[in-house]
Amino acid sequence: MKVYDGSQNEETQDAESERLKVGIAEYKVTTEPAAVLTTSGLGSCIGIGLYDERTGAAGLVHVMLPTAEDVEGGNRAKFADTGIAELVEALEAAGASKRTMRAKIAGGSDMLDFSENGSSIGTRNLDQVRESLSEYDIPIAGEDVGGDHGRSIRLEADTGDLVVKSANTESIVL
Amino acid sequence: MNVDIQSLGTFNQLAHEGAQQATASLAQMTGIDAAVDVTKITLLDREDIGEDLTGREFVGVQFDYEGVLEGDTVLVFDGESADTIADSMMPGASDDPAMAQSAVKEIGNIMMSGFIDGWADYLDSTIDHSPPEYIEKSGADVLPEAPESGDHRQVFVFKSEIEWVGASVNFYIYMLPEYEPLAEAMMEHVDTDGDAIPIDKLQTFNEMTTKGTRQAADNVEMMTGIPTEAEVTQISFAPIEDVPKQVGTETYVGTVVEFTGVPSGYLMVLFDEVSAVNVAEAMMPVEMDGDGLTEQHEAAIEELGNIMTSGFVDGWANVLQTSVDHTPPRLVHDMGRAIVDPLAAQVGQHQEHAFIIDSKMRTDDIEFCAEIHALPNEKELRAALDDLDIERADQTDASVEQIFE
Repeated sequence: MKVYDGSQNEETQDAESERLKVGIAEYKVTTEPAAVLTTSGLGSCIGIGLYDERTGAAGLVHVMLPTAEDVEGGNRAKFADTGIAELVEALEAAGASKRTMRAKIAGGSDMLDFSENGSSIGTRNLDQVRESLSEYDIPIAGEDVGGDHGRSIRLEADTGDLVVKSANTESIVL
Repeated sequence: MNVDIQSLGTFNQLAHEGAQQATASLAQMTGIDAAVDVTKITLLDREDIGEDLTGREFVGVQFDYEGVLEGDTVLVFDGESADTIADSMMPGASDDPAMAQSAVKEIGNIMMSGFIDGWADYLDSTIDHSPPEYIEKSGADVLPEAPESGDHRQVFVFKSEIEWVGASVNFYIYMLPEYEPLAEAMMEHVDTDGDAIPIDKLQTFNEMTTKGTRQAADNVEMMTGIPTEAEVTQISFAPIEDVPKQVGTETYVGTVVEFTGVPSGYLMVLFDEVSAVNVAEAMMPVEMDGDGLTEQHEAAIEELGNIMTSGFVDGWANVLQTSVDHTPPRLVHDMGRAIVDPLAAQVGQHQEHAFIIDSKMRTDDIEFCAEIHALPNEKELRAALDDLDIERADQTDASVEQIFE
């Protein structure tokens, strides 16, 4: 076991605080190169990572449902359409530009879809994410979507790499 | 007493904001970045409060409060995080018990003042609280005595879990209000458009769910020969986005069904991987090939999930005096939260908050723990409870009788 003195202990805490956890229906933005944005347990939900190489700003939103259309008020980060809008605005406020943003997305699984007709929530989430990103002209630079398994993801701010983990397979890097 | 969905939602939001304020105070004083993970209102049997704290040591502060709400509240850290907090306030404090204690007390006091003031502001009234009392105990003993509930068998508990970013350290705020003042405060928020639920029916429903869980546990026992006990049954109310957090991040194996009727919804029977292997092997007459979870194990789990679901749903159908049908079980083996996520999303298309019914069972013979989580459609659950006739219930089903003695 390593023994840290006070100053090292402080550094350890700093290193820890750079891991930003994004919950369901939440988003976070960072301009810290060492920061890592994470979100876990994506089933039909989708994690959308946006990264602006020019400014080094990165953001991640974990959306649950396709559109806020039918719901009054509430949390904008819960829906794909308003969640992406929130994230883009927050990144712009942090100095990033839509023109140089790239998106990487993961999730939108069809697992446990009991609907007998119509498309699953995962598929509808995915359609909405693509549509919203294209409205902003933000290209999708990488994706790991669909299928019938869950995912956890990690967006590394210094490289824009999106690392996707699944329960029963090796991690992949987008 | 009736409570409407809107007021449950409002009170939940209030507890969440209070917890956030407390967490912000912590960040300001120590530089520790923490996030409120879950806030929920739970109705449960007083003996079951704090069951999830079992086996761990805690330190923290306790207050009592009075005014528009009365009762006790605690904020507890597990031992290790208390040391880190003490050191971040005064380097080296964790080596000196007196200093560590005073650091915990100070930070606890500041955090909880924010929590309680938030409630008082919202209720537009005053809540006075006592000076913080330092506590150091293990498991559920760290929590205050549940309020005397008089005629009420079950109590409301507001619980927030705060997770420390970057480390697997949690701390908890529990608030246990006296029933009557809480009831009055909630009554003031009941609107009259008919979405109110009488609390006694919610309690009844909870007790009958316990019965369903016992039936499910009996079914496990029948199939495996292992004596299995039904443990906690509780009904919680939380924003839909907090629903997947009811289940851990680790990998689970189990079954999911959609049930139809009034109410409709989803029911999950989940085992951690170790439990799944153990219980599947108990069901098999012969040794398994290979290590870990094989297809044979999964087939056994599917069968077990099916029979547990039937037991549970039958218990429910009895209470509600309706028939509750369900789809064939689907086997799942994935990250816990990813299993719940699509179900919460389905339900979340029509509602902002959800009732979650959670049951657990375990056995002393082998390492085995099973969780049952039900996620009913809120409007339909309300309709079903509305039709639930407590008086008639004891005449129609002999086994119901003993519950309503």
